[in-house]
This record gives sequence, structure tokens and C-alpha cells, in this order.
Amino acid sequence: MKRIFETGNAAICEGAILAGCRLFAGYPITPATEIAENMSRRLPEEDGFYLQAEDEIAALHICNGASLGGLKAMTATSGPGYILFADAFGWALSSEIPVVIVNSQRVGPVSGITGAPGQGEFYLSRYLAHGGNYETIVLAPASVQEAFLLTVRAFYLAERFRTPVTILADQMVTDGWETLLLPETAEDIEEMDLIFYDRQVHPGPDFYPPTDDIDIPPVVLGHNTGGACSDWTPTLKGHDTEDIELHHQHAWRLIHKILNHRELIDDAEEWEVDDAEIILVAYGTPSRVVKSAVSEGRLQGLRIGGIRLISLWPFQDKLFQRKASYLVVELNWDGQLVREVERAARANSVHFWGRCGELPTVKELLLTTQQILEGKTISREAWKTVRWSHV
Amino acid sequence: MSERIEFLCSGFGGQGVIRTGQIAGQAAVEAGLHTSMLISHGTETRGGYVRSQVIISDDPIASPVVEHPNYFLALSQAAWDRFGGLCQPFSCVLHNPEKVAIPENADVQKFAIQAEQEAARRFGDPLFANTLWVGIFSALLGPLITEAHFEKVIRMRTTRNIEENVAAFYHGRALFESRWRSYKP
Repeated sequence: MKRIFETGNAAICEGAILAGCRLFAGYPITPATEIAENMSRRLPEEDGFYLQAEDEIAALHICNGASLGGLKAMTATSGPGYILFADAFGWALSSEIPVVIVNSQRVGPVSGITGAPGQGEFYLSRYLAHGGNYETIVLAPASVQEAFLLTVRAFYLAERFRTPVTILADQMVTDGWETLLLPETAEDIEEMDLIFYDRQVHPGPDFYPPTDDIDIPPVVLGHNTGGACSDWTPTLKGHDTEDIELHHQHAWRLIHKILNHRELIDDAEEWEVDDAEIILVAYGTPSRVVKSAVSEGRLQGLRIGGIRLISLWPFQDKLFQRKASYLVVELNWDGQLVREVERAARANSVHFWGRCGELPTVKELLLTTQQILEGKTISREAWKTVRWSHV
Repeated sequence: MSERIEFLCSGFGGQGVIRTGQIAGQAAVEAGLHTSMLISHGTETRGGYVRSQVIISDDPIASPVVEHPNYFLALSQAAWDRFGGLCQPFSCVLHNPEKVAIPENADVQKFAIQAEQEAARRFGDPLFANTLWVGIFSALLGPLITEAHFEKVIRMRTTRNIEENVAAFYHGRALFESRWRSYKP
């Protein structure tokens, strides 16, 4: 095993290349620029292709085209570029094109602040495409090592589910430096539990079957009977149609191929939840502060637990069925994950701790935890206070 | 090691805040320890505010946040003004008193050296102040990360004037020896 000190950006590149990515198209943006920079150096070494696109709209369309040409492809950006993926993301969803998208969230809205972390695209990552009628897979790394591991997994899921997979990171994961282990041998790969799925080629002619099955190879243009691939509702053979029955079948497939195989997607870490009176919930870098707060809180005698979401979408309602209060910790002021937790947790009380651009401290989280447990109002300056829900 | 070590470095863009954090972090990796480093910076890195937060530990690192730095290299007055409040009586604050004034009554361990002037006088350029500070930081850390680990990383992470940087590192260690040999953390 190779042991190095590297950024999440570099880890994502190594994960992608190991998973078979051979095309990267992107447009530089802080804090994801180093992904493009690294790929421009690394891909030619692997007989792959790097393209600097004219913008993010083109970048993801190029990746879609490359995937339809038989290559595993990836693009990466941050918030202001991510919104420009919307059009191409919809194409990839509907035409079932395997592709991997990285979004390193920074401070928003819009261009916001570049070199500081945010978590403002939790819902955008679920609803990036217009028109609804789909489910999507979103993974959220919390460390440099996990950025590597989840990139490998993203490529695996993209192939098996025939869909775009999003890695929703944050500035601290991608810009941050950490100890990174990279496999060098087959034994290393086994030890890291890495799994891969090679690109298959659909033999045609029924490219879009009305089924929730996975492991159906994608369309690879020029390698078979020439399935059409457009942004319109497809017939079984991939031609455009206005037939509403065929649309029902298509939407059903896009939703249920994902919902009916969640065992391959769902992932989370839980800490000390069994007897917890209060459970802190987070994803990405803030979840690491939550983990420290749980350890520290337990030492202080608090019945505190923690949940770290590793896969964000589809949302894991089942994790929030315990009789406990929930405190959702996010890098935004408006509260996004908290809305989903409140929906899933139903009758339980759900609270929100949010701030953008700076991680919480263990001290701050434990103070808020204590206040919730004592039934007090969360004592923060007025503009920082959100009492999200019923106590 | 029973506790984690928190190292905070902050200053303006272009001062080498990130590079200094990288050297500290990578030296820890070379020594077989776990390391994390968060970096924050503005749009225009050169001249803007920059911070690196380095955690070094025997165990895998959960929170990567510096809450109470064991070591704080304050390269600008703004850095001290902004993060000085995180310091505890055990915090070692490294600063150039010509540039960064720390109040008399601040309850911290102060390590003041006119690093830029020293670097300019000794190596002909104030830019070597950073590796001089790394030398002082490494001496403060003690045997946890050896000078050989630091030297290896300085050679890897600096692209120009490698020998001068290595010399500045050892000069920092020598300065620590001559001024604070009796210091006990």
C-alpha cells in the first residue's frame, strides 16, 4: 500500500483512474480545479483523454458523449459550475448514460466565496434535472481517503445502474490534505474492498426495457445496432416518442431501478445511537466534528449519538426511526438536510445547527446539545438561531 | 501519544501558509502518524487571508478543526487578531514581534523571533523565514517527528533554493536551542 499526504482532489483522480475512467472534461473552478489539473497530467499517462471544455455545460455533454462512445468518463466542478450541468445531467439520467460527477460545495449562493466550505447543494444534487420522474444516486465523502473510495464506488454504481452518479463533496474534503492510502497490488485492492464493473456493450435492439433490472449494459453508439439516444422519451429501441404509456414505463424504470436495489447504494455510519437521547446528524466534513462531539459528549456523561450519511440520495428514512431528538449539523444557514430528516423522523423533535464557510467546533455542538437536552432555547445570536421545529 | 496535536498557521496569501502546513503535515505522515490539514483562502490567494489547520495524531483523526492550537504560527497581525482567542495557556505562539504584536498579558507561550530579518541577514532573502519557523516548530515538537523527516519533506516540497531552505530549517532549530533550550512544554 502506498501511503502519501495528498488532497481530496488528487484522491478523486486516483480513484477514478483505478475505476477505469479514461476521459475527463471540465472547466476549472475553485475548489475543484486540481481535479482537472491532475487529470490533465494523469490521464495521458493511462492512454486516456483530458479535455478542457469551454464551460461546464459542454463539459458534462462531452462526458456523456464519451460514455456513449464506450469510455468511462468524469467531470468535476463547484456550485456555480454545478448548476450548468443541469441540462446534460438530465440527458444522462433519461438516456441512462453512466457518468460520474463531482461537486465540491463551497460557500453560496451563486459564486459566494471560493476557498471555504458550504453544503448548499443537498437538494440541488437530488433535483438537478428539470421535469422530475427520476431517482438519483449521490455519495458524500468526509475525508481524503473516502473521496478515493467513493469515487471507485461511484463508477461501479454508474455502470451497474446505468445512470449518472454524483459525488457531493465539500471544499474541505477536496482542498484538504490528509494521509491517503493507495492500493498497489491485487491484495491491497482486496483489503480495501474495492469493487469494479467493466463497461459492457448493449447488443440491442431493446435498449430501454420496461423493467427495474440493473446490470443492463448501456447504449454504446457504433458498437451495436445503433440505438438512438436523445433527450426525448425513448421507445424500447431508443427512438423518440410522445406515447404517454411509454413515458410511464420509462419513468417507472428510472425511479425503481434505483429504489428496488437500495442495498447496493445505502450507506451510513452510526455512533452510540442505541441509548441516545439525542442524535447528531451530518454528512461530509462536519460529520467528523460530530464524531468527536459524540466521543467527548459520552465522556461528559451525555447520552449523545451520531449518524453520518455516506449515501445521501435516495434518502435513508430508516435511519431516523429511533425515539430520540435529532440535531442536524450543516454548512449552510438555511437548513437543507434538516428538512429531509424532519420528514423522515416524523414525530421526533428535530433541531438545526447551521453555519456556512466554517466548521462547527466540538464545544459549540456540545453546548447546543446540552441546551436541547435541558429544553432550553438554543442560545446563539439572533441571526444565527434557527429553532427548526417542535421541541 | 495520548492526545492530538493541533497546529494553526495563518497569514496573508503568498506568505507560504499552505506550504508550511504541507511540510508539517507531510513530515508527520513520514513519521508514521495520522495527519489532516484543512486550508481556507479567499478568491485572490496572493494578499488575501489564508489559514491552514493541521492535526497530527497517533489515531485516525475525527474532527479536523483546530479548536485550541498547541502551536500557532501567526504570520500577520490579522492572523493573531482573528485566531488568538483560540489559544490556551499551553499554546505556543510563534511570531515576529516587528510584524505581529501580542499583548503583554496574553496567557500563551510566546516564541518571538525577527524571522524575516534573520532570514534576510543569514540567507539573503526574508522568504526563508518560513523554513526557519518550521525549524523552530520542529524543535518545539521534540522527538515525535525527527529532523530527518522534516529535511526529507523540505527537499520534496521546495522547488527552488532547496539547500538554503534546508539550512534555514536547521538555523531555526539552532535558534531554538540557543534561546529556549530550557523550555519544557
